[in-house]
Amino acid sequence: MSLSLDATQLDRYSRHIIMDEVGPEGQEKLLNGRALVIGAGGLGAPVIQYLAAAGVGTLGIVDDDVVERSNLQRQVIHADADVGVPKVESAAAFVERLNPDVTVETYETRLGPENVGSLLEGYDIVVDASDNFPTRYLVNDAARLAGVPVVHGAIYKFEGQATTLVPGGPCYRCLFPEAPEPGTVPDCATTGVLGVLPGTVGCVQATEAVKLLLGEGEVLEGRLLFYDAMDMSFETVPYRRNPDCPVCGENPIDSIEGIEYAGGCAVEAE
Amino acid sequence: MEWKLFADLAEAADGRRVTVEVDGGATVGDALDALLEARPALADRVLDDEGDLRDHINVLRNGENVFTADGLDTELEEGDELALFPPVSGG
Repeated sequence: MSLSLDATQLDRYSRHIIMDEVGPEGQEKLLNGRALVIGAGGLGAPVIQYLAAAGVGTLGIVDDDVVERSNLQRQVIHADADVGVPKVESAAAFVERLNPDVTVETYETRLGPENVGSLLEGYDIVVDASDNFPTRYLVNDAARLAGVPVVHGAIYKFEGQATTLVPGGPCYRCLFPEAPEPGTVPDCATTGVLGVLPGTVGCVQATEAVKLLLGEGEVLEGRLLFYDAMDMSFETVPYRRNPDCPVCGENPIDSIEGIEYAGGCAVEAE
Repeated sequence: MEWKLFADLAEAADGRRVTVEVDGGATVGDALDALLEARPALADRVLDDEGDLRDHINVLRNGENVFTADGLDTELEEGDELALFPPVSGG
C-alpha cells in the first residue's frame, strides 16, 4: 500500500484512517476528491465546513451573494465581520483557517445555463445547496448530462428534503417533473427558516458527498429523505426512474439548450 | 383516512393532518377529492386550471409513491396512510 499521507495528515485524519471503511486509501480518495458546492448559504455552510474538515481536497464554491447580517442566524461559516463580504470569499477564508489541505476554487457568479457546463467540468460530485428552483433544475439537468452525481438538499421553515441523484438512478425530474410556478411557494426571506434546520440537512448532504467520494455505503439513490424538525422525525420515501423523464428517461435531451430555467423550468416536448 | 401534508401544503390546508371520510372500496383519488373538498385553499394550490393534480405534487400511500403503481386509482385499505408532498427550494 503506497502512502502519500504525511505525518500531519495521518494525525489530522486519524479518526477516519483508523476505520476500515475509510482507512488511508479512503482518506486519499477524499484528498483527491473534487466537490462543487452550489451556494454558500444555509445548506452550503455546513457542507463546506464538514467537507473541508474531512479533507476533501478541492472544494469549488459558487455563489454571487454577499454576507448579510440576517444570514448569520444559520450560515455558520460566515461571521459578523464578514457582513458585506462576498460569500465565496468568506467561505474560502473559513476553509483556509480550518484545513490547509483543501484548495478552494471560488466562483463569484450566478450559476446559469451559459456557465453551468464549464463550472461542472472537472468535479467528481456536485452538492446542490442553492435556494431556488431554476438553479436546482439546471443543476439536475446539466449534471446528469455530464454524468456527475448531485447531492440534493432543500429546506422550508422546519422541514427538509434530501436525495442523491446518481447517473443510472432517477433524477430530480423523475420526482418533480416541473417546478411550481414562481410565487406558489414562498421563499426563506418571506417565510423564515429555523436556523438549525439547514445545519441538519446540510450535514446529511455532506455525509452523502463523503460516501460518494469514498465509494462506501448506501446513498439516497431513489430515496427522498424527509426531515421534520418540529416532529423530530426522519422518513425516507422510495421513488423510481420515470421512463418518460425528459432528462434521464428513454428519450432524453442531449443538451440544455432551449430549456427555459424560469417559471416551471419545463422541458417542452419536441 | 388521514392525510399528512408537507411543507406549504400544510399551510394551504391549515393543518399538517387532515382526516377525511371515504366509503369502502374507495381509491386514493376519492380520498384526494374528499380532502380537496374539505380544504378549498389546498385545492387551489395543488390543482391546475384543468383540475388535474399538478406535476410537482406527489401522492404517497403508506410511504410509496402511488404514481409508480396504479396512481390515483389505487384502492385504499383500512389504516392506509396518505400523504401529499411538493418540492421545496430553500437553502
